[in-house]
Amino acid sequence: MSTPLDLRHLNAFLDSELSLSEQLEMETRLEQDDSLRSEVTGLQGLRSTVRQQADYHAAPAALRNRIAALAGTPPVSTAAPTPQRRFASRPAGLALGLALAALLTWGIVPRWWQATHDDRLMQQAIASHVRATLGQRLVDVASSDRHTVKPWLSARLDFSPPVHDLQAQGVVFLGGRVDYLDERPVAVLVYKQKEHVIDAFIWPTQEAESPMRASSHRGFNARHWTHAGMSYWLVSDLNQDELAVVAYSLERKDSGDTAR
Amino acid sequence: MGVSVADDDNRQRFIAIALPHLDAAYNLARWLTRNDHDAEDVVQEACMKAMRHFGGFRGDVVRPWLLQIVRHTCYSWLKENRPAEVVSFDDSDAAWRESAAPAADEPHAVAQRKADRALINQAIASLPVAYREVLVLRELEDLSYKDIACIADIPIGTVMSRLARARGLMQQALLPGARPVLRTVARHAPHAALRGEKK
Repeated sequence: MSTPLDLRHLNAFLDSELSLSEQLEMETRLEQDDSLRSEVTGLQGLRSTVRQQADYHAAPAALRNRIAALAGTPPVSTAAPTPQRRFASRPAGLALGLALAALLTWGIVPRWWQATHDDRLMQQAIASHVRATLGQRLVDVASSDRHTVKPWLSARLDFSPPVHDLQAQGVVFLGGRVDYLDERPVAVLVYKQKEHVIDAFIWPTQEAESPMRASSHRGFNARHWTHAGMSYWLVSDLNQDELAVVAYSLERKDSGDTAR
Repeated sequence: MGVSVADDDNRQRFIAIALPHLDAAYNLARWLTRNDHDAEDVVQEACMKAMRHFGGFRGDVVRPWLLQIVRHTCYSWLKENRPAEVVSFDDSDAAWRESAAPAADEPHAVAQRKADRALINQAIASLPVAYREVLVLRELEDLSYKDIACIADIPIGTVMSRLARARGLMQQALLPGARPVLRTVARHAPHAALRGEKK
């Protein structure tokens, strides 16, 4: 009974690529036809096997750097023109620029700005975490398979976040969603340990590498670090120690990736 | 060699917009060339091309656009270095009849079985390149049929039939005991299996 047309349609059905009416028609046929149904089950099995087990070859860091270099950009970062340069064109601006430069040299402004900036981000991340848990909409793409979640996120963002599952650490990977933080769309990877939801917010940053820092606010705990041009914020109601274990596992997996 | 301001602009834009999709580019090239070194060369060449043509890019979805260039570069490379792999493809009905569809309960058994990772990789690597690319784009990049059609430069109907065929071949290759050749092929020379299969 498997004519080529059936197989093509069966595959398109599996990929949700049929029109709505064809999709419904196929569902009706499946209800009546046992062998057709078992074929779909077989194809689903194959699909998840391939998605979970086939190698995904990430670009080697050396290649990435080489291409960035070919484009005439130092691989580290592409700094935007600094505001001081614009100020310097006018005398009043020059004075202000000098004052600013003095503050910068003392390191007061950066530290103060960084602290309030981080505080604000943590509050934004916690707000997003709470909204998601209250609204029962933890994920936009529900899958424990990182080969499904990563392309889903890259298709919706202007960057491709590193996606890792932490199954070996006993952490369940629920999927991902897209949110808006730090005035930009960011990737959120959602994990669960016991009954605690852990949100990992990831987005590209110009900030320098920074080691992991712990913070907490209104009973929520957070961990923040930057690595390889990505800013990470983990937020959960999990206790600080257990969250640290999750954060370090994630960080280690990530460094393993970029070192490769 | 003089580099114009426009060129410079394109390169900067390329870094910001296209470089985030380098993993996808490399994954496709790696699966098509089946070799790390060749994949790096192909991706680098494709990126150079992409940078040059970035001024002409008007769409809002960069990933399929970049993958299209990578795929094209891969094919040129294959034609030059492994011409036997890029035979012209017959997507007609005749091609379908040569292999019987697997009996209904067999694929189910595959799903139940914890398939070996190396076996899966080997089975994908052994697919003819036209089937391999649609499978990789669909399962590993999760692209729509429309995007795949655009990247592989084929009609959507052909995407459907190639994908169905690719999955059929995968099911056959993963049947317990079937095709022992897939398991004995040495890792560093995976294309030997393909040549054998073409016969």
